[in-house]
Amino acid sequence: MPEQTPEKKQSLWKRITASREASLLLVLIVLCALIEIRSPEFLTFSNIGEILKNNAVIMIMSLGMLCVLLTGGIDISITSTLALSGMTVGMLFKYKVIQSTGLGFLIAIAIGAACGALIGVIVSRGGVMPIIATMGFMYIYRGLAYLIANSQWAGADALGSFTDFALSSSLGFGVINNVIMITILCYVVFFILLKWTKFGRSIYAIGSNREAAEISGTHVARVEFLVYLIMGLLAGLCGALSVTVYSSAQPNMVLGKEMDVIAACVIGGVSMSGGRGSVGGALLGSLILAVIAKALPLVGIDSIAQNTVKGIIILAVVILNVVTKRMMDRSNLERRKI
Amino acid sequence: MEEKSERIVSTGKKHGAKSFFSSWEFALAIIFIAVSAFCRAISPNYTPGNVLREMPKYLGEMFLLFPMAFILLMGDIDISVGSIVCLSATVSCFACNAGLPIPVVVLIGLLVGLLCGMLNGFILTTFVELPAMIVTLGTQIVYRGIAEIVLGSGGSISLKDTSGFNALAGKVGPFPYLFFLVILFAVAFAVVSAKTPFGRSLYAIGSNHNAAFYSGVKVQRVRFIVFSVTGAMAGLCAVFLTSTLFGANTTTGNGFEMDAIAMAVFGGISTAGGKGRLAGGIISAFIIICLRIGLGQINMNPQIILIILGILLITAVLVPNVSSKINARNTKNKVLTRK
Repeated sequence: MPEQTPEKKQSLWKRITASREASLLLVLIVLCALIEIRSPEFLTFSNIGEILKNNAVIMIMSLGMLCVLLTGGIDISITSTLALSGMTVGMLFKYKVIQSTGLGFLIAIAIGAACGALIGVIVSRGGVMPIIATMGFMYIYRGLAYLIANSQWAGADALGSFTDFALSSSLGFGVINNVIMITILCYVVFFILLKWTKFGRSIYAIGSNREAAEISGTHVARVEFLVYLIMGLLAGLCGALSVTVYSSAQPNMVLGKEMDVIAACVIGGVSMSGGRGSVGGALLGSLILAVIAKALPLVGIDSIAQNTVKGIIILAVVILNVVTKRMMDRSNLERRKI
Repeated sequence: MEEKSERIVSTGKKHGAKSFFSSWEFALAIIFIAVSAFCRAISPNYTPGNVLREMPKYLGEMFLLFPMAFILLMGDIDISVGSIVCLSATVSCFACNAGLPIPVVVLIGLLVGLLCGMLNGFILTTFVELPAMIVTLGTQIVYRGIAEIVLGSGGSISLKDTSGFNALAGKVGPFPYLFFLVILFAVAFAVVSAKTPFGRSLYAIGSNHNAAFYSGVKVQRVRFIVFSVTGAMAGLCAVFLTSTLFGANTTTGNGFEMDAIAMAVFGGISTAGGKGRLAGGIISAFIIICLRIGLGQINMNPQIILIILGILLITAVLVPNVSSKINARNTKNKVLTRK
């Protein structure tokens, strides 16, 4: 929450450093500029499209994770849900049960929503801590994905026309790739949802102060249930998306990437204790992670060191966050002294 | 969500037979007997000798359970232990292949773990605002990343000379050394948590860390010590893991942090902090180990075992929650009808 300062006029620099999104945007621009100087082929239209397409799954799921984190919860089962829905769709295409792309997406989304709803019931009605409940379902859904796969996998030839979806741009008016178009749509929907709807504001209210939200008439349990349902729904959608983008369905797909999603949110300024964070932050956080991953080989850092660099950046960002917050608090205190 | 206000720190000692039989630990002991009987029924190979022979594969993870229980009692979490195991196992393999004597190799493994744990503790106590989940998520990626760099493009290393580690995997009668070490640490950690001021301060921090701070508990020092000890124990786990695997790769220790947390939570230790006993965690660890061995013996798909563990974990937390909710509703109704 931006604090109300007595002075109306603020310098541009101060306004940028005070707003989380603006400073992140600055970081992203500087990062892109530096990489562009080192390797001029970085900021081409096709390369940016490639980055967006390959990271669409993380970008979309960080929207759901944003909602979950805003209520003060966490969901580490998302990649298992993704694997379960993606694997099911892959197998349905492999054995020619379904042929149509739209039906494939619908089934994936339905499976994801069902998985999310189950978690939502356990967390909101059963009172199980979110990390424990989703840890249990992480095992269960991943196990189910392996059972459905039955030591088979679906390749490009088995998937047939389903893989064409990621190559065409029919949804994006022939200009923008389908996968990117879906990502953009999701972001627009969530921006409106979190900013201007009653449901979105009650998510913030629960995260800021659960008791206060309950007493002022928010259905805490219902909102919490819906948040996990939405998370599952997005994970299901991403299951279908990752099958079309990588044109393969395997039970171990995107294993361990749930931490990337959480990291993207945290870099984007989403608080793990709830109530703080925005759609813009989630977007910038996941973009920064995506750009770093793409840029490391371009600037000559060995691909083997990528994880180390990624981890150090996550730590640096969160520590920097704390340091600037402390400095701001101190300067606010000093201003109060006369 | 558990409500902090419901937590009662009892002043008097509870020794009655009723409280013993209604405790979660007693229920776990019964589940343990049931699981053993079940495994005996489905697998003819489930004999004490066979179980003890297969146990070393899983026992090492118990070294992670003890400190993890401490961390959860404080209301913190550490998801970097699996990566510490990986890094420590990798470094000790390299040290062993360099021809160092085995005690030095073990020491190096422990030291690597201790350093990783101290780094976690340092970051968490310097920047107290940061949640442990995020910090250990970052260090989790970093530690495994360093192990990946050390391992190089091949991504794995195997021991050239296994004699040193073979000595570690030795046995007294049917019992492996590891078994005695686990018992020793179990007793030590249980005594520390239940009988010493340090152990009680863990509960104090977990129940209300502000109150603990103002009553003179050195909260940050306790946290630093516990996270450092966790690192060292992860190093110990890595050494014994190497003595059964004779090598290390980039996926070594994958998911160990989740296993340790699952064992602790199944044992009745709350992730919200301040609630639970180490004894429960230890019994639940043996339940999970026996279940894995028994189901493994009838060649059950490891994925089905994972599903069973997931269901067990959720029901273990769900059942007490729901039953206490129903109890609360019943007493409320009674009060209402009395009016």
